[in-house]
Amino acid sequence: MPMEIVSHDMNIDFLGRRSLWIGLSGLVIALGIAATLLWGMPVGIDFAGGTEFQLRFDPGVTADEAQLRAVAVGAGFLDAEVVRFGEADSADFLIKFKALPEDEMAAAAAGEADGLAANTRVARLQSAIRESIGSFVEQRVEFVGPKVGADLRRDGANAMLMSAIAILIYIAFRFSSRYAPGAVVALIHDVLVTSGILVVANHLGLRVEFDLQVLAALLAIVGYSLNDTIIIYDRIRENLELQPTADLESVLNLSVNQTMSRTVLTAGTTLLAVLALLIFGGDVIFPFSFTMLIGIVVGTYSSVFIAAPILLFLERRYGGTKGKPGTLARGGATVKRARA
Amino acid sequence: MSGGVAWRSVFVGALVALFAFLTAANFVPKEQRVASAFWPDEGLRMGLDLRGGIHWVVGVDLGQAIARELEFVRKSIQERLGKDGIVLEANVDEQSQLVLRIAREEDRKKVLDVLDETNVLESVGSDGLELRYGLTESWTQDVRERTMSQVLEVLRRRIDDPQRGIPDSVVTRQGDDRVLVQIPGEEIDRERARTLLKSTGFLEFKIVVDADASEETLRARYPDGLDPAMAVVKQVDQESGAEVGAYLVPKVADITGDYLEDARVQFDQQQRPIVEFTFSPEGGQLFEALTEKNRGKQLAIILDENVYSAPAIRARISTRGMIEGRFTADEAADLAVILRAGSLSVPVVIEEERTVGPGLGQDSISKGALASGIGLIAVLVFGFVYYKVSGVIAGISLVANLLLLLGLISLFEATLTMPGIAGLVLTIGMAVDANVLVFERIREELRSGRSVRASVATGFEKATWTVLDANITTLITAIILFEYGTGPIKGFAVTLSVGIVTSVFAALVVSRLLFDLYLGNRNVSTLSI
Repeated sequence: MPMEIVSHDMNIDFLGRRSLWIGLSGLVIALGIAATLLWGMPVGIDFAGGTEFQLRFDPGVTADEAQLRAVAVGAGFLDAEVVRFGEADSADFLIKFKALPEDEMAAAAAGEADGLAANTRVARLQSAIRESIGSFVEQRVEFVGPKVGADLRRDGANAMLMSAIAILIYIAFRFSSRYAPGAVVALIHDVLVTSGILVVANHLGLRVEFDLQVLAALLAIVGYSLNDTIIIYDRIRENLELQPTADLESVLNLSVNQTMSRTVLTAGTTLLAVLALLIFGGDVIFPFSFTMLIGIVVGTYSSVFIAAPILLFLERRYGGTKGKPGTLARGGATVKRARA
Repeated sequence: MSGGVAWRSVFVGALVALFAFLTAANFVPKEQRVASAFWPDEGLRMGLDLRGGIHWVVGVDLGQAIARELEFVRKSIQERLGKDGIVLEANVDEQSQLVLRIAREEDRKKVLDVLDETNVLESVGSDGLELRYGLTESWTQDVRERTMSQVLEVLRRRIDDPQRGIPDSVVTRQGDDRVLVQIPGEEIDRERARTLLKSTGFLEFKIVVDADASEETLRARYPDGLDPAMAVVKQVDQESGAEVGAYLVPKVADITGDYLEDARVQFDQQQRPIVEFTFSPEGGQLFEALTEKNRGKQLAIILDENVYSAPAIRARISTRGMIEGRFTADEAADLAVILRAGSLSVPVVIEEERTVGPGLGQDSISKGALASGIGLIAVLVFGFVYYKVSGVIAGISLVANLLLLLGLISLFEATLTMPGIAGLVLTIGMAVDANVLVFERIREELRSGRSVRASVATGFEKATWTVLDANITTLITAIILFEYGTGPIKGFAVTLSVGIVTSVFAALVVSRLLFDLYLGNRNVSTLSI
């Protein structure tokens, strides 16, 4: 007897309570937006500009966040944020401060003073720490100027937009134009819900901010969730061809149930890999791993509870005769179906 | 079908073996690889976040290049009109527009003709006798391109300098107005590298008109203001940054570093480092004439608006000269590099910097390897437990997939970054998806009462398009990420997209072959799945 996590004859009415699921998602998104308005969006230096400096104190030197922050403020870095990396007694710290405003930057560049104000600032900060606390090894310095920050923001937004458009076109081409909105709404849903959770997580003290790494994770989630949605859509299309006269909602339910086993299994193996990354991958990659962890759960949910109901709605509203395969399977006609 | 099994086994076996070889090559030390004829010389590159080093994005001030071009055009127009006895007030404003003021209405036609003749100007508006012009789009583009290639060339010459350069560094253009500089190695003196990169390297020789201890006291001598053709330049001590002198010199240099042919470090009688330079024959003649005419006066040697030294001219000098300053041997050596490489035509500013110091890169590699290993084992164990023998097939296919993925990116000589490793781990998790799709289909077929052989065949057949559809869409997002991503993120997009391709191949070709081999010609009635 094969092992089963999800029973093959499972028959849960996933779509029956669709208004509940959509309402729930809407609520989560609304809460996420509220949290963002309330606490602000935590934007990393990639997009906001600024400097990050990670150091590891030499053995024997003791320091804590408050002490380090006091030194940083004393050296003139009023907006410095200090985070301890790893365990509570770790010697690794991250100090973050914003770039100079653009006009000051330009002024510094135009004069004979070093145009790299932010970098000379790092040198200044380093000597202040050496004097007041002790010796350390510089682990990482990242400085993003305001111009580059703005460009990265634009590129990030473009990447999101371009993916959405490319996906719409591909789905409209391979399935039918009525399949596309569900997939894209599900993707927007994933990005919004995940972002909302990140805002809350950041507020609760986790080190996740919107930066290039998190953007990459969000796009990977978009890819993953889409993968999921397409597989369900594919099954819906196939079942509609096999049972042209069946009720649309029950066909959709059947398809979701049939693919549920693979949905759960794939989410499971991917989560296993992501958990390995989260636990063993280290601090550098933590924001990525964390975002992926949330996103995979959200992406899996959205394929079943968001994409499918929207397809149902659009088919009922704009589809041809209910459940008629000729209209639904358009574009998929090239696919040779099972010679059952 | 079974007739093709032997052929497919050879094909898949050879392919996996080849890519396993390419993957393995990465674990052989570089020197050994180059020395041996067996291993390929190049393989996977380590990103700067893994091997340590500096990643700089340098912004080039193209606005200044355009303003300078306009100044040049303005001068030639005024000279041209001057010949016809037309006086024209003209200047270049902050928006890089040439503003002309015609003195008399009857000159207008002549002025417009001359402006037209330049072929590089276009009107951006006029108000009575005031005309506003900007550079044409094509000429602006031309100026930008010229400036960018000049800056790239100079930066390359500095970084690749045979004596003082930084080996293995890469200088490439990024976008319209930026240069990407990547300097590997963990123990680089960042301050030094930054000076090497950022100095404009603009060397000027000017005859000193007047001098004093500071700019303030010097200016105080001219209560009525300076002659507009003159300017004050300061001498700043290299070590303390304090002002040690100020000189009144002409705005336009008598000779610039453009005529330099070579520069190298020497030591004077007190064993202090100095930079000795050699002029080209043409520059030598100019220098000779200048020193002859101004014997006894001071000659200010100015680099990037700072006076390095202002020796008195004691004799006529032709092709050889030297710069004294209070530098260390290292600073003198770097100055020589900058002078040899020539000056940047416009200033540059470091707009983005990412450095990874000692230890952190190595730490990331070991953590990434650990996470990949544990992720792989977890997924393999899960597969064996859930799908039994078929799980072993999926496991072999997953390992083959990873070998193909690593071999392929080694073949491309792609750059592996920390996000790239994350992409690898993600691929381990997601690659199983294609196998799961096929296996679930086979189970369904088995449940509907088909024979094992028919179930496997139908399972693969039905799942093929699903697998392709699902992966092509994911591939689209990965490619878009590659297009818009920078630096380490590109590494993520690379492993993700290559991983998608190899996953599909592994599931549809490798797993299929393994099933065919497993079932063989036996008469099987049950399948362990």
